[in-house]
Amino acid sequence: MEVKQLTLIEYYGAEDDLRELFNSIKDRGYNIIGPKIVDNVIRLEELKEFSEIPRGIEDIQKPGMYKLVRGEFFRHGPDSPKKFLFPPRLLLFRVSKDWTIEIPEVEEKLIAFFGIKPCDLAAIKAMDEVQGELGDPYYRLIRKNLLIIVENCIEPGETCFCSTMETGPIAGSGFDIAYTRVEDFIVFSADSEIGVNLLKELNLRPLDSEKSTKYAKAIKRAIDKAKANFSIEGLPEKLELSLNSPAYKEITEKCLGCANCNMVCPTCFCFDVVDVPNLNGTVERIRVWDGCFSYSYAMVAGGHFRPDLWARYRHWLLHKFSYWLKQFGRFGCVGCGRCITWCPVGIDVRESIIKILNWVRTYGEVTE
Amino acid sequence: MVKLLSKFIPRVAIIRKTITETHNIKTVYLEVPYDFEKPKPGQFNELYIRGAGEVPISISDITEEGLIAHTIRFVGTVTKMFIELKEGDKIGVRGPYGNGWPLSKLRDKDVLIVAGGVGLAPLRPVIREIERNRNLYGRLMILYGARTPKDLLYRHEYSRYEKIPNSKLLVTVDRGDESWTGYVGVVTKLIPKVEIEPENTIALVCGPEIMMRFTVKDLMARGLRENQVYLSLERRMRCGVGFCGHCQVGPLFVCTEGPVFSYEKIKKYFGVEQI
Repeated sequence: MEVKQLTLIEYYGAEDDLRELFNSIKDRGYNIIGPKIVDNVIRLEELKEFSEIPRGIEDIQKPGMYKLVRGEFFRHGPDSPKKFLFPPRLLLFRVSKDWTIEIPEVEEKLIAFFGIKPCDLAAIKAMDEVQGELGDPYYRLIRKNLLIIVENCIEPGETCFCSTMETGPIAGSGFDIAYTRVEDFIVFSADSEIGVNLLKELNLRPLDSEKSTKYAKAIKRAIDKAKANFSIEGLPEKLELSLNSPAYKEITEKCLGCANCNMVCPTCFCFDVVDVPNLNGTVERIRVWDGCFSYSYAMVAGGHFRPDLWARYRHWLLHKFSYWLKQFGRFGCVGCGRCITWCPVGIDVRESIIKILNWVRTYGEVTE
Repeated sequence: MVKLLSKFIPRVAIIRKTITETHNIKTVYLEVPYDFEKPKPGQFNELYIRGAGEVPISISDITEEGLIAHTIRFVGTVTKMFIELKEGDKIGVRGPYGNGWPLSKLRDKDVLIVAGGVGLAPLRPVIREIERNRNLYGRLMILYGARTPKDLLYRHEYSRYEKIPNSKLLVTVDRGDESWTGYVGVVTKLIPKVEIEPENTIALVCGPEIMMRFTVKDLMARGLRENQVYLSLERRMRCGVGFCGHCQVGPLFVCTEGPVFSYEKIKKYFGVEQI
């Protein structure tokens, strides 16, 4: 993949600089969201102190497996920025018995993501085109003042394939600050005015050639590590030839239809709106996450368009890797691998794609 | 503090009239606020019943007084709530959504309507439009099928349809009863009974998906091209604004890109099992 040169500022510092950056963002009134251990899982939570960010911890992620151990570098857990930009539950309005409609007011909060990974930055860009463009007022409210501090991934995990999806492991643009831990130093770069200003407050030094070489080497290694065994070139078109493939049935033999993959996916945007009646007679209309794996998703009164799991899996996979391009002009998958790690039966989307491509190579008919 | 003005906030509509169409279908006529956008034939609204939920329902008529009609079959949790609704009751309404039938393409063309069951509802405003502006369109042929005579929609209007100059109405039922003297069989059996000039005809089709599949096949066999056949699809349109994901057919959002599609546009996905 092509790594865009981070021309604005490329300086280095140490752990103390990161702490100082955290504090100076906090002093500017931001609510900082970052990684924190909750119940033996690294979640994204509101952080009060820099020290809440785990150190000396590593996560082991494999298909259907997640475990924290002592180590050097951790990756993203099940939470993504979606949890904050597009909350799982959001009150849309209340209706009283006499049909008075009360529209809720929300506080205009300053939010900073601290230490999210490049795949999640890519997911925010994808969300900008869905929730942002389609006019979700809550999303826009949070997004307009959002500060994004990205931690580049020097040690992608076993379920990561951001290199293939061209979203990481090094963020190219669209962040305020990106930092990279390389051995005993941290490389900083900025891609916005506020990012530059924040970095100026730190005591950073320009990268010398020795550190530059180490940095470049680390990036190269990380890129190689986050590759899947397929290429995205022509992928959407090839996959669309698989509409009638029995491969989906084979892949979903062990699928439980639990929709975990939908929930942990940083770009899955589907939702439902449900009525919640209160004891005082008012009714709340609440927007809740929904996913194409849930049974009722494609159901209408008197019929069901995708009663079988294989059809739901086909829709999910083709949406991420094919339909999304037609709808929004990019892939709907950012290669974070969450759907692989958090699948209770360890279905690996990378293997699914390879299986489907194999079928297409043999049986796929080229249509116009 | 900022008010969250989402697209999901309904307008309040008052039911001004209800008509019992069949044992499980009812039409409600809504008075909507003055600034509610005037729907086009083939569009739908999201109707909201407080405490039950929202359903996407086609617009089945727009009266001279500006009332918007919806014809509802009682099949699900929300639609069953309509059984009890009466004049003066309030419901929420959002819309109109969707693209509607391609009226401009019908100009000077013969219009062939093929409808099955409650699928006649979204086509009724087209009939009304042709009736009102008769000289703008060619011949009007309406082929309509329902399960039994008791399931036929808008029976009280058939004599009016037949009086539209240069028009033909053929009705069939899957199973007749002792009083039924008309055609018996599926609606596609009516297609050979009308004269079609393929180069000058546009077909508008709405009904169960299986019925639409056979209709398309038969119309192709009669010489219509893929861009002369339009279908209105049913899906789970929860938001209506191309956002919630539920109504996707392949990459197409039925709520915003449809519900009306030319067969040419939808054919790649239409008929694919469980798409």
